[in-house]
Amino acid sequence: MSEEKFDAALALLSRLDPENLVANIKAIIELEPELAGDLLSSVDTPLKVKSDTDFQNTEFLCCDYNRDIDSHRSPWSNEYLPKLSSEELTESPFPSDSLRQLEIAMNESMDIYRDLYYEGGVSSAYLWDLDEATDDFAGVVLFKKGLESVNRWDSIHVFEVINTGSHDFTYRITTTIILHLERQGNNNVTLSGNLTRQTEKSVTLNGAGSEEKVHLAHITNLGSTIEEVESQMRGLLEVVYFDKSRDIYHELRNDSALADKLNKHKHQELIKGLQGL
Amino acid sequence: MSKFVDLITQLVFDAAPQEINTVSELLATVTDNKSNDVILQVVGEYNVAKRLPIDLNGSYVFATEYNKQGSKFYDPFHKVLFSVDHLKRVGLDVESHEVDVTKEQKDIYEQLGDYISGSFPGSGTYTVLPADNADELVIIIVSTRYSPNNYWSGYWKSEYIYNSSSRSLKGDVHVSTHYYEDGNVQFNTSEVFDEEEVDEVVKTIHKLESAFEARLDKSFRELNEGEFAKLRRRLPVTRSKVSWGKAIGNYRLGKDASKGM
Repeated sequence: MSEEKFDAALALLSRLDPENLVANIKAIIELEPELAGDLLSSVDTPLKVKSDTDFQNTEFLCCDYNRDIDSHRSPWSNEYLPKLSSEELTESPFPSDSLRQLEIAMNESMDIYRDLYYEGGVSSAYLWDLDEATDDFAGVVLFKKGLESVNRWDSIHVFEVINTGSHDFTYRITTTIILHLERQGNNNVTLSGNLTRQTEKSVTLNGAGSEEKVHLAHITNLGSTIEEVESQMRGLLEVVYFDKSRDIYHELRNDSALADKLNKHKHQELIKGLQGL
Repeated sequence: MSKFVDLITQLVFDAAPQEINTVSELLATVTDNKSNDVILQVVGEYNVAKRLPIDLNGSYVFATEYNKQGSKFYDPFHKVLFSVDHLKRVGLDVESHEVDVTKEQKDIYEQLGDYISGSFPGSGTYTVLPADNADELVIIIVSTRYSPNNYWSGYWKSEYIYNSSSRSLKGDVHVSTHYYEDGNVQFNTSEVFDEEEVDEVVKTIHKLESAFEARLDKSFRELNEGEFAKLRRRLPVTRSKVSWGKAIGNYRLGKDASKGM
């Protein structure tokens, strides 16, 4: 498959109605099946929710990063659901023991963060090792709000944590927020779409000795960065969804345009009159 | 083959209207240029359905089912007959062509011109054409804006059927705006109108569309302050940022304690 074709498919999706993103990805794949793998792994779509039957039916979020075959790994029980056969599981990805400890702690912290900002919804964090020889790892932190409602918010933070020298770490985060708002009535209104932003932060972990302390430092650094990015993007979404859309609308039609034009005309007449004095 | 046409139709009809040229080029690349004739045909159907204005040497007209004449289209006010290059949305083989215009049709057209220059700061295109039944006129207003350097486009279409014997006015308005810098955000809205005992057609349209605009401004405000605000707080109830690290567990202890757990 050519790079050009894949880039064209991504550019095409950004020109089509984001409300129909999933259906449009499907249509492109039907036209060009060879694009399936790359499109499904690189385009963020609204997150699905499953219940962890091995963990009091606690809900968890599903995306391509915790998927194997048609099952998704729960961050709570660490099981793939629906259950995979023991043969299939030998091939399934799991984080190393140490990374799993960090994943458990990160899920606990992100769940508290979710409660504080979202007052509901579901969160999940998944980690995977990047390179056996280093402590570099990657992961994704997910939040979803509005499961039962037509109004939905999905946050997807994909990150890499790279050890750049003894205690120095670089955090690279790509954040996508998918937001859908709608209202039915005399006039049906929908505001739908997604915004993406990249963030990078380098931190020296001073005095972090034990593995537990290093883990806590990673959660603090990732957590505070995600908190900051989400706050900025919440502001950006508000500007784009409401102010920008309304401004573009008024470039199309604006009842006050006539009044403005008349006022401007009167104003010019007035200035001319004054100049004539 | 018809499955292919269906898929192309689905994708083309989902394009932001002013961006249809880019969409058709990208679709040609994605499909290895193997069926550009299908894309061209579907884009033509899209232009007609969305009433996208056709450029006739700087003046804009519509190509619709109402002004089709054989394989060409006519415009009663610019007094021309033309074919359409649908990919570029320009007129071809333009020749002069006179058709009878009723006084009512002409009056509505002229009043529309005043209304549009007052309330449509975008490039507004409009027309009044005989509809399928005698006594009926179709009125079309389209306003578009495209700013590719700033990654946005916008589209307004309102269309009405006016019946001069029953004095009814039925129609609808569709608006979409698209913003695609570092993402893809689309706003869509529509409303249906059905008025009886209409005396002054253009005044009634103006009144309906102004009320639509006022409701729209209100919907934006309410969605922002209501549904949007409910999804994620600006700050936690504590009004301060989260204390990450070991202390984060205290939030839960506090919450459980307040519940008496």
